[in-house]
Amino acid sequence: MILLELALYFGVLSLMAFGGMPAVMPEMQRIVVEAKGWATPLEFVQLFAIAQAAPGPNVLIVSLVGWKAAGPSGALIALLAACAPAGLLSWWIAGLWERFKDSPWRMAIQRAIAPLVVGLTLSGGYVLCTPSTPDWRLWAIAAASGTTMVFSRVNPLWLLGAGGVVGGVLLQ
Amino acid sequence: MTESGSVAPPRTLGELFLGFLAIGARSFGGVLPWAYRTMVEERRWLTQADFAETIGLCQFLPGPNIGNASIVLGKRWFGVRGSIVAFLGLFALPFFWVMALGALYLEWAPHPVVRAVVTGVGATGAGLFMGTSIKLGKALIRKPAALVLVAGCFVSVGVGRVSMLIVMPIAAALGIFAARRGWL
Repeated sequence: MILLELALYFGVLSLMAFGGMPAVMPEMQRIVVEAKGWATPLEFVQLFAIAQAAPGPNVLIVSLVGWKAAGPSGALIALLAACAPAGLLSWWIAGLWERFKDSPWRMAIQRAIAPLVVGLTLSGGYVLCTPSTPDWRLWAIAAASGTTMVFSRVNPLWLLGAGGVVGGVLLQ
Repeated sequence: MTESGSVAPPRTLGELFLGFLAIGARSFGGVLPWAYRTMVEERRWLTQADFAETIGLCQFLPGPNIGNASIVLGKRWFGVRGSIVAFLGLFALPFFWVMALGALYLEWAPHPVVRAVVTGVGATGAGLFMGTSIKLGKALIRKPAALVLVAGCFVSVGVGRVSMLIVMPIAAALGIFAARRGWL
């Protein structure tokens, strides 16, 4: 029952996505590619590319994965599963936030989570540009885009476009 | 500059829907700047400080940040109906665009040049993740305990491909222990 699996896996990812979806990209790749075989490693990178290039929240990669695994209903179920659990949690916490936001344990949790988000986001980048065996061309493109992002404020869309051109030349 | 006196929440659910539709429809290259522009500058639903506070809450909680923000703001203004309407408005157009782009890609995927271009875009996106983590990581550079946690997550999850279901509870427990000791 693929729809149920999509709902379950992406529902769990929703609640682990601290700081947003980048933190769970390595786990998503592990489930989609290694555990379930819904996409090949390279296909997963390409679905990720489409979700990055299209306008809209980057969580929409789950819809592409859901679609590939189970068709249009898979796309919808995957999106709802990735948003609903965290959405319900936010819905519930929002009313209490005034009381919580300055409490010492909230600060402690935030400080505890910060390095995890950094390590997991870094892992996501590494996993995505290392689909199977290490390929210097993918690493070079990723290094160039990461460096440019750190040292300039250019709109990421330009970088994605440039990366596409370089990919078209280098990766055929 | 936005003055706090001059902002007013959306009056109807229709207005709420159209506002979030405008955010989703235009959000090339990241949603957050468009959310700010639409809600704070154009429609003046929120003050700058209010916006920052709401985003802060949504970044603290797990899940897609802007999806959470639609639910939190919708609730604040119209209750449950508001949450649902804002969420649907946000995703209505991007969902179809990403599907359309996906369909187009599947059509052309056998073409080697198309595959190469799309893979290049993917590698660039991967680089953006690395850039993001470096930007966020700068704040941790003087905290050895934080760097150990970063390295631990990277080696286990990124290189070792260990499941986050195993790594996350351990890392979170260590993180909270370190935070309570004042190491983070």
